[in-house]
Amino acid sequence: MINALRSETRDAILSKPVGAPEVRPNILIVDDRKENLLATEKVLRPLYANIFKATSGNEALSLLLRHQFALVLLDVQMPEMDGFETAMLMQEHDSMKGVPIIFVTAISKEEQYASRAADIGAVDYIFKPINSDILKSKVKVYLDLYVQRQHILELNAVLQQSNEELERFAYICSHDMQEPVRMMNSYASLLQEHCVDAMDEKGGRYINFILSNARRMQKMIQDILNFSRVGRQEVQIEQVDCNEIAREVLAEFDGVVAEKKAVVTCGVLPTLQTSPTLMRVLFQNLIGNALKFHGGDKVPEVTVSAEREEAGWRFSVRDNGIGIDEKFHDRIFTIFQRLHRKENFPGTGIGLSTCRKFIRLCGGEIGFESSPGNGSEFFFTLPESKR
Amino acid sequence: MTNVMQVLLIEDNEGDVEMTQRALRDSQPTCALSVANDGVEGLEFLRKQGRFGDAKTPQLILLDLNMPRMDGKKFLESVKSDAELRLTPVVMLTSSESPSDVNDCYWRHASGYVVKPFDVAEFSSRLKQVVRFWGAVSRLPA
Repeated sequence: MINALRSETRDAILSKPVGAPEVRPNILIVDDRKENLLATEKVLRPLYANIFKATSGNEALSLLLRHQFALVLLDVQMPEMDGFETAMLMQEHDSMKGVPIIFVTAISKEEQYASRAADIGAVDYIFKPINSDILKSKVKVYLDLYVQRQHILELNAVLQQSNEELERFAYICSHDMQEPVRMMNSYASLLQEHCVDAMDEKGGRYINFILSNARRMQKMIQDILNFSRVGRQEVQIEQVDCNEIAREVLAEFDGVVAEKKAVVTCGVLPTLQTSPTLMRVLFQNLIGNALKFHGGDKVPEVTVSAEREEAGWRFSVRDNGIGIDEKFHDRIFTIFQRLHRKENFPGTGIGLSTCRKFIRLCGGEIGFESSPGNGSEFFFTLPESKR
Repeated sequence: MTNVMQVLLIEDNEGDVEMTQRALRDSQPTCALSVANDGVEGLEFLRKQGRFGDAKTPQLILLDLNMPRMDGKKFLESVKSDAELRLTPVVMLTSSESPSDVNDCYWRHASGYVVKPFDVAEFSSRLKQVVRFWGAVSRLPA
């Protein structure tokens, strides 16, 4: 259900520009002489844009307050408020600050004027008499940039909203599904207990299907809940002894380690300011995976270590398991993506995406180095906490 | 004083009611389990109103969170602000592991918060432990 929703959302985003109304950008031309305004306007008229005109710095600012512009063509020499002053006032206003300015001038050809102009938001500096082809193509570049930027902003807003909706959906859904799944599991096992004599071999097998799938579903619901909880709750930062967390997590895997006769080595880990939940989630998933993805008779060897880096710490969990082709790099961190059949390596495909979501929230990154047959090293970085 | 412990279960899901009855069949101390289907019925039971005219005062209340009409949190508020009823221990019995639910219930003076285990056998043994603690270990002020 969630997979379907994801792809719908993705389609909606990709197809958005087709039906969306075209953005017609606004250009502002500022010149104290009306004949110059008319001449420039004539040059720019073939472009897909609305052209606004102002004959003074003051008029320009009042238009800038009311409309959003892709570009301002600003005459330098004007009475009262000149082009530089106008540009400097624009820099003080958040809504005008980012608007690119092309200065147009007849006399200030010295280098120092040009560099002064760059300091106050000018992207270009052109001299009169204007070559109309050059002006037109320069303006076109900024119009295209503006349209693309608007488009990206729009996409981002849609994406963010659908992400939030999706997470809310996942949370509510998984939360409310726990109850019925537990009921199904409970009554299937009661049925198994009560009707053991009345049932033939087939009946017993059917009930086992119900039970094993109910358990799988319960595991998925738990994992989805954990995934969607990351980010919903504030991350608590405290002094964390990573050795202690690693010890606790390793104790949870005692059974698996004994069963697989695995050798787990844990180096000296640092004590640092971070979220204990983050460390636990990462160790649980990475150590769990390192123990899980093994084939053949090889004795699983898992090494946990950490080393100091310039900007923080790099933790590593290395194994001698089946390894991963690096072309799957993006896939394994994507929710619900599994590389193996669940019969070979059970799992829900949520663990590593939870890890990545959590570590990014804390300003770190996660990755791996591996090749098939040669084991894997999963690492994650944590920046130095600013406290 | 009898040896039978009066327990009130407030739960809307028939499946859960039966599971609880089953779990407490052979509990120590022996339980007499009464059932109310939501918070409104729960309050009527405690106040011996309507069809609960001859209800016995429970020594322990097991309370679900999500129910129609009046949910677990509302019910807790009503019970804990009623001088007559507030001393009765209320133990939450729910499938929600949400930290905010746990918090909300303890702030409303729940005496315990039990997440219903997925496994039937565990569900039974957990419930027996709860009943044993409130029936045989803890001592409430008279």
